[in-house]
Amino acid sequence: MMQRLAATMLVLVASIGPASAQDTYPNRPITMVVPFPPGGVADLTARPVAAAMERVLKNPVGVVNKQGAAGAVGMQSVAVAKPDGYTLLLALSSISIIPEADKLFNRPPAFTVDQFAPIALISADPTILVVPADKPWKTAKDFIEDARKRPGQISYSSSGIYGTLHMAMELLSQAAGIKLRHVPHAGAGPALTAILGGHVDALASGPAVVLPHIKAGKLRPLAGWGDKRVAALPDVPTLKELGYPDAEFYIWAGVFAPKGTPEPVVAKLRATVRDAVNDSEFKAAMDKLETPVTFKQGDEFQRFFDADAKRLAEGVRRVGRVETK
Amino acid sequence: MLEVVQNLGLGFSVALSPPLLLYAFVGCVIGTLVGVLPGVGPLAGISLLLPATFGMDATRAIVMLAGIYYGAMYGGSTTSILMRIPGEAASVMTCIDGYAMARKGRGGAALAIAAVGSYIAGTASVVALMVMAPPLARVALRFGPPEQLALLLLGLLVLAYMSSGSMLKALAMAALGLLLGTVGIDQMTGYMRYAYGVVELGDGLGVVPVAVGLFGVAEILATAGAPTPPAVIKPRLRDLLPSRGEWRESAWPIARGSVLGFLIGILPGSAHIIASFVSYAVEKRVSRRPQEFGHGAVAGVAGPESANNSATSGAFVPMLALGVPSGPIPAVMLAALMVHGVAPGPLLIQNQPALFWGFIASMYVGNVMLLILNLPLVGVFVNILRVPYPYLYPAILVFSILGVYAVNASVVDVWIMLVMGVLGYVLRKLDFETAPIVLGVVLAPLIELSLRQSLAMSDGRYAIFLEHRIAAALLAFGLGLVLLNLYTFARRGLDWRARMALAEKGDSS
Repeated sequence: MMQRLAATMLVLVASIGPASAQDTYPNRPITMVVPFPPGGVADLTARPVAAAMERVLKNPVGVVNKQGAAGAVGMQSVAVAKPDGYTLLLALSSISIIPEADKLFNRPPAFTVDQFAPIALISADPTILVVPADKPWKTAKDFIEDARKRPGQISYSSSGIYGTLHMAMELLSQAAGIKLRHVPHAGAGPALTAILGGHVDALASGPAVVLPHIKAGKLRPLAGWGDKRVAALPDVPTLKELGYPDAEFYIWAGVFAPKGTPEPVVAKLRATVRDAVNDSEFKAAMDKLETPVTFKQGDEFQRFFDADAKRLAEGVRRVGRVETK
Repeated sequence: MLEVVQNLGLGFSVALSPPLLLYAFVGCVIGTLVGVLPGVGPLAGISLLLPATFGMDATRAIVMLAGIYYGAMYGGSTTSILMRIPGEAASVMTCIDGYAMARKGRGGAALAIAAVGSYIAGTASVVALMVMAPPLARVALRFGPPEQLALLLLGLLVLAYMSSGSMLKALAMAALGLLLGTVGIDQMTGYMRYAYGVVELGDGLGVVPVAVGLFGVAEILATAGAPTPPAVIKPRLRDLLPSRGEWRESAWPIARGSVLGFLIGILPGSAHIIASFVSYAVEKRVSRRPQEFGHGAVAGVAGPESANNSATSGAFVPMLALGVPSGPIPAVMLAALMVHGVAPGPLLIQNQPALFWGFIASMYVGNVMLLILNLPLVGVFVNILRVPYPYLYPAILVFSILGVYAVNASVVDVWIMLVMGVLGYVLRKLDFETAPIVLGVVLAPLIELSLRQSLAMSDGRYAIFLEHRIAAALLAFGLGLVLLNLYTFARRGLDWRARMALAEKGDSS
């Protein structure tokens, strides 16, 4: 609690500080907002990033968890924060999904993606399709063919409607022209529990989450959503190899600043994050999480971000509203 | 069995090493503090300290975080008993009888029984965790959405036993709680419900601000509005210890609470909160003098406090045996393991014996530490009652606001607490009990989600509840309970509850 209070104080003090100190940026603590609870993917990525940035900048970088409404609360708070480089956001793929879902329900969006200036991509993990080891499907082809024969009969769990794990499956369904039965859960943890308990037939989730259960022989991996195969699972083909190039999906984590942050500050931040991801302590921390670093910055990140946002927006629109019967 | 003894030997050799003892102790102290502070519960405590554990090794981190978790369960009873303010959400039921005991001058006894009950439940449930974790975890996995719904419906029946006044009023409050529980993003369709454009309401009304508001703030308002301030209690030394009669009356509730709490703790959801509610209801049901509940029944403190403690060990079962979280707190602890490169999963016990057995042994040690820490504190804490109300209550209000704000750094939560405080005050004036509202807020999202998940699994066929054998059995049991009660109701007409309500009416008019 003290930490959070201290961080809040710092933000307060920071916001009344001089605004003209651009050339000496940074000259006071930087806050990195994580819009999810401590312990989640975003939090576990943000902490080593912030620590490494702190070492590079020789200036405090504090992580503040501002959770709520599947990330919308924290993301909105950064979208409207003062664009001075002292408030940053560590966001996941869902940053592109939330405004689209808001649009779908005709509600005023909590924020829009163009309120953010992308700084750098830290990691991008493709989701992996897994089924319980006692199910008959040995390959992704078996699975997709069976799903085609029995539309709406094969079920899968997800982290929640329009959540990342839902969108991954939805992109596959659209690419392969199949219909699966969606059983939303309240988060990625419960979604994993559901497949381990045999209550659903399939799940798409991050490699770090499913790997221990694949090793223990409880789950069987069928395919990955990435551009390339996952290093830890060299025998598992990508959906691209199997002829579904549109089924590309990553649970990615990236650093953003509010739109309007001065260009020199953005440049400094990009350079800082680039040095931070090469920091040896940072690399060790990410290795332990079994999350490979995928660094992209500048135009490269912007292109990745735009392409991803476009795919997801289309995905959300095609899922449409779930009409209640 | 020999293997267990050998492993435990390994565990104790890890747990009794000085650094680990220190981390367990630090965890227990922080946990007690977190439990005592109104609003700040174990989840907030663990989340806030998680980053601090990143530099330690995995065993130390997990031992310290677990210490915070069960330490909070010990500490949560303190403010509930002395001031009717739940230190954390699982202590709501303790507020009722614990506070009534404190008003009668038995506050020290209530605190001591809560501590000893917590110790017994904590230790017994670690034994269960140690011996039965893998098989129990497999049972827990079989609890899918249909089974969970059946169990939660059974939990709702519990409501009927919670109030001491009018059943109609209790049910009205439960309905209000269930309605409040529907606020937020609909998990199945993504619709925002009753949020009125406030993004922060997307996650619904948190149980912490609701509980602290309904109990704590309402109590402060009620005291301020009383014509004469409540007398300052000066506890005497011999009142600190429970009498022989009080020990006798708490023995069985502690035993039942331990078993119930552990079993409920294994299942997903906010288990430690639900465990304390169920234990209270069970104690009231089996008690020979149910009319004492709400007016300082020892069993009403002993049962729920034991239950919420053993539920914490239960929650570790799926986490350690399978690597899946059974609730938000184990989820944070799993993350702590992942940060240290320990892959949580079915192979954890095999691959990391020093961590698993060290953790188990440290829980034995931790429970002893907490007992030693808490019993002398009883003498310190009861002296809070000596502070005159004009000084004590504003201070508590400040701590409540700070505590509730700190959990999510959300001003909206503070407003929820204040609104609930006013609501709780009005309801108390009208003789409504507020505990069923809290239970409703906890259960509503769980019940709704598991019902709709079940129907999503079966493509809308309700037969799924009969096809799943565990679910069917639980539902049949619940139906039996209802029928049994209808039968006695029809035979006897008025039960003790109605008679007492009538009698109270006669008193007050």
